[in-house]
Amino acid sequence: MGSILIVAEIQKGKVRDATFEAAALAAKTGHDVKGLVLGQGVAAQAEEFSKRGASEVFLLEDDAVANYNVDAYSAAIRAAVEASGADIVLISNTPSGWDVAPRIAAALDAAFVSDCFDLQGEGDAITYVRRVFNGKLDAKLTTTGRTVATIQPGATEAFDGSTDGKVTALTADLSGVRAKFVETKAAESKGVDLTKADVIVSGGRGVGAPEKFPEVIQPLADALGGAMGASRPVVDAGWLEHAYQVGSSGQVVTPKLYVACGISGAIQHLVGMKGSNFIIAINKDGDAPIFEVADVGVVADLFEIVPALTAAVAAAKG
Amino acid sequence: MKILVCLKQVPHQDARLDVNGDGTWIQEDSIKFEINSYDTYALEQALRTKDAGEAEVVVASIGPDRVTQALRTALGMGADRAIHVKDDAVDGSDALGIAKVLAAIAKEESPDLIFTGLMADDGNFAAVGPMVAELMGIPSATAVVKFELEGDKVTVERELEGGALEVVELPTPCLVAVQTGLNQVRYASLKGIMAAKKKPIDVKTGADLGVADQVGAGAAKAKIESIYSPPKGDGAELIEGSTDEVVGKLLTKIKELGLL
Repeated sequence: MGSILIVAEIQKGKVRDATFEAAALAAKTGHDVKGLVLGQGVAAQAEEFSKRGASEVFLLEDDAVANYNVDAYSAAIRAAVEASGADIVLISNTPSGWDVAPRIAAALDAAFVSDCFDLQGEGDAITYVRRVFNGKLDAKLTTTGRTVATIQPGATEAFDGSTDGKVTALTADLSGVRAKFVETKAAESKGVDLTKADVIVSGGRGVGAPEKFPEVIQPLADALGGAMGASRPVVDAGWLEHAYQVGSSGQVVTPKLYVACGISGAIQHLVGMKGSNFIIAINKDGDAPIFEVADVGVVADLFEIVPALTAAVAAAKG
Repeated sequence: MKILVCLKQVPHQDARLDVNGDGTWIQEDSIKFEINSYDTYALEQALRTKDAGEAEVVVASIGPDRVTQALRTALGMGADRAIHVKDDAVDGSDALGIAKVLAAIAKEESPDLIFTGLMADDGNFAAVGPMVAELMGIPSATAVVKFELEGDKVTVERELEGGALEVVELPTPCLVAVQTGLNQVRYASLKGIMAAKKKPIDVKTGADLGVADQVGAGAAKAKIESIYSPPKGDGAELIEGSTDEVVGKLLTKIKELGLL
């Protein structure tokens, strides 16, 4: 049985939790677990991974992989797959992970499964568990032959054991690079910093029209002394600016109270708010995934509930 | 310049999702379909590129008869011609099988640019775009929220976590897998819809494209064993009753949080 190769995700000089979460899933399967650390000046990170989850970590240090680059990462990962004899390649489902992982699968003519939140089974009988239909249903997949899988960050506990692994230097031909990394631009911080709000009232596609945000959602936020937020489809439609977006590509918030109005609860939105202290969800669709993370749910028309709640809160405050 | 746009027709985002008989997908018989949301932004960006200079926009999609409607919509929006791979033998393909079909089309067409959506609203695999690029031996960029073309140089901004952006340059030919919100998608005008009736839709099979033995359930290396409603677990405490009753109970919860 071949090994599992985990491609480490390094951010701001640290091996991300996502890598150790993948290591925890890998440890369950009974496969030997190896790692790959790519970058420049990342020897310490490779050492850390060899002591926490991997029996061997391949270290590839090169200017070509100092920043994420689809061509250089692709060549480096393929070299590591060869060197490790891996049957299964695990990559965190982050912006660089989802960029390169499908290409690795195509290059290896391998099976591909993305955004898994669990791996079940052992040996050659691994089941990959993930969500479909924007989080509304779960799916179990099996694969034949070599497999590349991406793992959803934050879906599971990080590996907290120790391994007595070694670090092996790896080189690869990284000369065929066509894509060029230019720069990373930090997020623009204009508008309300939702991460500081005690209360956030967010609207989703169910709010139906842009004018309903100032008419219906903002008043409840105001009555509660909080801020208004939005899910991605609202921002995509141009109803509100990106500054209001709550989610993995917007702001991740942990207010005392989060009220989700007409939001179905796609994964990337849940990532942005599931850490809230208390969540109230209002949605016409009782099957909406938002009800899985909410503390309290109301299956009803938000246009009935929200204005009435706004009035009641205002009255209670006197 | 030639631009290829890969479209997928998916269940409408409000469609009722009932798991089918053998539990491996949803029942598709009596639901509405639409073009995958991500692909509408891909098509729009292709059309904007065409508007800015001389280009031919070719749209391609795989699936049964109903896919014709999606292709007519794309042609009505301004695409020049369409390719419809209609072949039962392609059913049950995994992402790589689909990518092989689309790559075969791309090899015949030799586009300068390929636009796809980042993922499909049904499977959410986010695989086919980059796979097609790998099979074509061209560079790719995913989760694109800004796109510029100058001569044979593409500059994109890729969406990172927390609203950060990664600026990347790619030479053409290349593939761009777009994120929703990249642009504002146009509606097909009445004139466009009428003109679309005369635009060609080329129907092909996997065999026509030389990939017959690489597609379908038999060739698929990743297989969906089951699809199911997630176990409800703890979930939310559901509050029921009249509007007044519901609001009263919510007010109590809000008071308990010390917010009033």
